[in-house]
Amino acid sequence: MQIFSSIVDNENYLNDTLSSDDITLLKLPVGDKDGILVFVNDLIDKNAVGELILRPLSKVSGVINEKDLESAFFSPEKAKVLTMEKAIEDLLLGNALLFTDGFDFCLSFGLKHFEIRSITEPPTSTVLKGPREGFVECLPINVSLMRRRLKTPDLTFENLTVGRYSKTPVALCYVKGIADEKLVKKIKDKLNSIDIDAILDSSYLSKFLGEHEFSLFKQVGNTEKPDILAGKILEGRVAIFVDGSPIALSIPYLLVEDFQSPSDYYNSSYSATMSRIIRLLSVILALFLPSFFVASELFHLQLIPLSFLLTIVNSIKGIPLSPSYEMFFTLLIFEILNEASVRMPKYVGMVVSIVGGLVLGETAVNAGIISAPTLMIIALSGICLYTIPELEQTFSVIRLLFLIVAGCAGGYGIIIGIAIFFIYLISFENYGTPLCAPFAPLIKSDLKDSVYKGFLSELQFRPTSLKNKNKRRIKIKKEKN
Amino acid sequence: MQKELKSRQLYLFLIAFLPFSKLFTMPSILAKHANEDMWLCAVLGFLLDFITLFFIVKIMKKTDKDLFTILNEKLGKTATNIVLVLFLIYFTLKAILPINENKDYVEMTLYTLMPTMLYFLPFFIICFYFCVKPLRVLGRAADVLWITSLIGIVILFSLSFSNSDFSAILPIGANGVGKIVKGWLSTLTWFGDSVYFLFFIGEFNYQKSDDKKFFLCYFLSALMVVFFLIMFYSVFTSIASRQRFALTEISKYTTVINNIGRFDYLGIFLLLFSGIFSLSLPVYFSCRIINRLFNLKKTWIAPLITVSVQLFIMIFLQGYSYSIESIITKHLGVFFLVIGNLLPIIISLFAVKEKKYAA
Repeated sequence: MQIFSSIVDNENYLNDTLSSDDITLLKLPVGDKDGILVFVNDLIDKNAVGELILRPLSKVSGVINEKDLESAFFSPEKAKVLTMEKAIEDLLLGNALLFTDGFDFCLSFGLKHFEIRSITEPPTSTVLKGPREGFVECLPINVSLMRRRLKTPDLTFENLTVGRYSKTPVALCYVKGIADEKLVKKIKDKLNSIDIDAILDSSYLSKFLGEHEFSLFKQVGNTEKPDILAGKILEGRVAIFVDGSPIALSIPYLLVEDFQSPSDYYNSSYSATMSRIIRLLSVILALFLPSFFVASELFHLQLIPLSFLLTIVNSIKGIPLSPSYEMFFTLLIFEILNEASVRMPKYVGMVVSIVGGLVLGETAVNAGIISAPTLMIIALSGICLYTIPELEQTFSVIRLLFLIVAGCAGGYGIIIGIAIFFIYLISFENYGTPLCAPFAPLIKSDLKDSVYKGFLSELQFRPTSLKNKNKRRIKIKKEKN
Repeated sequence: MQKELKSRQLYLFLIAFLPFSKLFTMPSILAKHANEDMWLCAVLGFLLDFITLFFIVKIMKKTDKDLFTILNEKLGKTATNIVLVLFLIYFTLKAILPINENKDYVEMTLYTLMPTMLYFLPFFIICFYFCVKPLRVLGRAADVLWITSLIGIVILFSLSFSNSDFSAILPIGANGVGKIVKGWLSTLTWFGDSVYFLFFIGEFNYQKSDDKKFFLCYFLSALMVVFFLIMFYSVFTSIASRQRFALTEISKYTTVINNIGRFDYLGIFLLLFSGIFSLSLPVYFSCRIINRLFNLKKTWIAPLITVSVQLFIMIFLQGYSYSIESIITKHLGVFFLVIGNLLPIIISLFAVKEKKYAA
């Protein structure tokens, strides 16, 4: 709807549409005309209103035309708005609007000011070495964090608004000349097609951006660290920031990303490779140790060495539950404790850990309800799972599924289960990128930053798994002797 | 144009899938016929497959079209359909014994406490799921499974090496040509893997020196099987013909097992994992043929038919498994030879000849 040229009509319309007490409509003279300044009280920097709007306005006198009005203010964020919808959208984002009688437009001043959390180290990815900055809930700050790292005109941000009621600002971030334009367009189209009441966090968007609705696995990468995100977009990915969320999304996502820790890039290649191998082994242990133990106890006793078998036999003597039920219930208790410790306040959470982990476990073993090996296996599996915190939820579900399969069908059942997941994973593609690259399909050049972390001199080219442009990222000049 | 497969995936395909099916009952059948010369029967089988592969690779070099298009262009629709039906029958028969022997293996060696066919039935779910997937998934599977196959075989080889008496296979050729040929003919159902390559024609971009890599990988794959057979006879000697499930037995006497448990099962499980895909291959290619014959749009129909056929054979003809084995090994050798080796060679000669004529 076009803005009225009559100030009375504009005032009536604004009064009808914005009947909230936190919105101020300030009547004031604009030269020889009447004007209204509109803003949301708690979103605006009132000093800036005084300095950048009211003070210049007091100097405007006499007959004014459109040009005089526009040139009267020197605000860095000033825009001429022609429609009422855009004006209201700006107002609710924290802009101040100036309507003037006789003009069918208003001026929108970007003077937002609200309390935000300071930049801290993100709790989800702490590092011993390397930058400790993390994203915050404020989009402009997150944008500035990226700009500080990549000072190139090719770093591009495209702003969108998503959410019928929330009108959440969303920013697409990529490096022109590296990211694939088709990918950028596809993501933009997807974001524009989202019709939802509100986007309260970036995780809402990740559900829409995934191409497989019922997927058990992640389809969109995420990080809270600007250095990691900068690395990702330099590989050809596209990042998505959501105002109100400290977690930035990145597309396309590869499964191997979550096996890479931020610290890998700041440590030596040897220790990074070692850490990645440990993570991989931990995940294998976490997923399959409980199920293989149950399968061995129930179906394949020959798998267990004799001396260990005797220990197990002694420890399960008198246990009322079958091995599969025993493992299943112990795992269930572990998951309950896990859930409780995450949800509870910090101080109580500590108590729950001690009571649950030590007292409950010890008592259950002493009382002969569960056996010591079972408890040990669940504890080990639980710890191992947290070496990849990003995939903890997915792997918890898979571990439980394998445990049920092991109880019903033993070792071959587990192998069949692995094969099903294997086929599912290798056929999984998102935005044309295979989830399991660079292993399936095997991309030799990309293996240099997979489980093995190559030396910097080996990483001269961007990963080919991602459809990026401008392949070379490092040029190493050889010194002539 | 983006092709479904990469040539690298085909080299790895040879290592990932070819050895598996030859490690179960085939060694015992060979031993029954040719005793210490059993490995020579396998060499014959591999040699014939190698020749077939050689001719197929010749077509791969010359054309970018897939098998179905080549056949249609050269033979016309009716003849193409006849050839495809022959291949369909071939794949259906080729799948029977490996699936059944795998079922027996799983049932009798992994579930000694409570053996039942039920434990093997989930295989058909995965077989169906695999067959629904496009060719690129097969390629990606090969990218990973060659490692599991290789590790599995290396574990078994290294554990059983100390128990082997390699002098047991001497003197070479003592059983005579007749027995060796008989052994070879009776095990043709486990060979004839080169025929899969017919279905890869035109599905990847052929690059220079791919032929050498194909032959090298085929040689490595064959070498693994031949070495396994030699080791098999060296471990079991006179009782080799009774060892139908040698995988579990071949390395269990090593001293390492006494100390750390049945470590060899790790290798066996890895092989069984690759084996699921290896066993599904004939069914997979049957599906491709059915899809092409009936121009099916829904990808699940052909897998449902082919998997159901195999499931039916396994469940309802379970009591006749030895008779089926006997029929396939004793009477169908020539059929496997003709469809699995001669027909691909004829097709490739025909395709190459026509190409020259056209030029």
